[in-house]
Amino acid sequence: MTVFECGPIDYSTDKGDRVLNNIQLKLSSPCLAVISGPSGCGKTTLLRAVAGLNRAQVKTRKIDGQVFPPGTLPLWRSRVTLMLQDAPCIQGTVLQNLSFPYGFKAAQPRIFQEKRAAKLLQAVNLGHITMDTNTSTLSGGERHRLALVRGLLWAPPVLMADEPLSGLEPELADSCFELLMDYSRKADAVVICVLHEEKFSEKADKRFKIEHGTLHIPDTV
Amino acid sequence: MNTAHYISLTPFDLLLAVGLIVIAAAISTALKLGLTRSLGLAALRCMLQLGAMGLILKKIFQINTPLLVMAWLLIMLLFAGREAVRRSKTKYSGINLDALVTMTVSSLVAGGLVTQMVLRVHPWYDPQYVIPIFGMVFGNSLNGICLCLDRLTEYVKSRGMEIELMLTFGATRAEAVREGARQAVRTGMIPIINNMTVAGIVSLPGMMTGQIVAGASPMQAVAYQIVIMFMIAAANALGSMSIATLAGRRLVTDFGLQFQRHEKP
Repeated sequence: MTVFECGPIDYSTDKGDRVLNNIQLKLSSPCLAVISGPSGCGKTTLLRAVAGLNRAQVKTRKIDGQVFPPGTLPLWRSRVTLMLQDAPCIQGTVLQNLSFPYGFKAAQPRIFQEKRAAKLLQAVNLGHITMDTNTSTLSGGERHRLALVRGLLWAPPVLMADEPLSGLEPELADSCFELLMDYSRKADAVVICVLHEEKFSEKADKRFKIEHGTLHIPDTV
Repeated sequence: MNTAHYISLTPFDLLLAVGLIVIAAAISTALKLGLTRSLGLAALRCMLQLGAMGLILKKIFQINTPLLVMAWLLIMLLFAGREAVRRSKTKYSGINLDALVTMTVSSLVAGGLVTQMVLRVHPWYDPQYVIPIFGMVFGNSLNGICLCLDRLTEYVKSRGMEIELMLTFGATRAEAVREGARQAVRTGMIPIINNMTVAGIVSLPGMMTGQIVAGASPMQAVAYQIVIMFMIAAANALGSMSIATLAGRRLVTDFGLQFQRHEKP
């Protein structure tokens, strides 16, 4: 079981607007949590704050009681990995895009498994693209699925995904959501997604809404 | 040095040389290039700046104390650092310090090695050698640093998403910016490589030309030129590497990129 704790998190814009106010996250695996809320409410800012990719004040970051001080952010990010919004790719091939993280120091002892990568590509309906396909030829939806494969292959104890299903056909979105759900179960991991569709929130183990900078558990329908 | 054939220039000779600028100006006027004014101003600035430099150097050579030589080098260094920043297309906070540190390190090492170990200048601060040699290091490092800096900031701006992507998968800052820094150092070093490649075939380098005119034996002039070019190569390599490292650390911070795109909440 993984226990993920992060917070309290505070974030104000340069103009002084309070975007996140004293947010505390604590989740135990297996768990798939969905964060929703109107656009502009701070969902992306929250995920980026957890990953240490903005100037948010984050008091503590913990996995299973182990504290990750700011100097260990790379290690933290290799365990609490954020799949960025808009699914960016690095210039190069599909293979390079899936394997680049394994060259980083923080990757130890992970090893890139090409066969598993190929299987996952099949699973997200990208079986038709080869490892040497240049990612500049991929559509938006394909890039999102490639990013999902990269995330699942990396298999961190905590996987965060910022709108991972955007631009996908409804059926594909369903099966990709199932993959994330599966991952949380099989890998005994914590998955945190920012998603808009209500149907996914309903299936989640935990659902949160950000309102006025604070995290709410919405009333169940 | 054999000075038997050395021809001293008189003010009258310089006046004749002005005639050359008049030719250039006449062409500019005839073709309506709109350059006459800037040509004239540039020529005037050139004369005044070099004239002032000549007077200052003359004074420094006369007084010949280490303190004065060092002070003059410091002034050159500060100007070079400022110029490197001024020429860079993109600025970031901390760029001034980075440029200055880089300029200091690269020129001290390269210029120091050449004046103290290769030429073994005596006394160690002999302005006749130290000032022109450091001048050449400064001028050339400046170019290398500018090119390198431009390439790196450009890389971070255009490929910031990739850098961020790497960070999210646990890359350290150095790992995330490595490719950009590599490209930048390469860019900073290409001019000197090109210069060394064509030296003597396409161009006769200025210093060598000057020494030959001043009466040095061509082989001695060549030897000096080789030393100088290697020195510039070392200074450029050191400077590019140093500025890429320093700038990389500032552009990719612990919390992402300095040129942060406007964050969508």
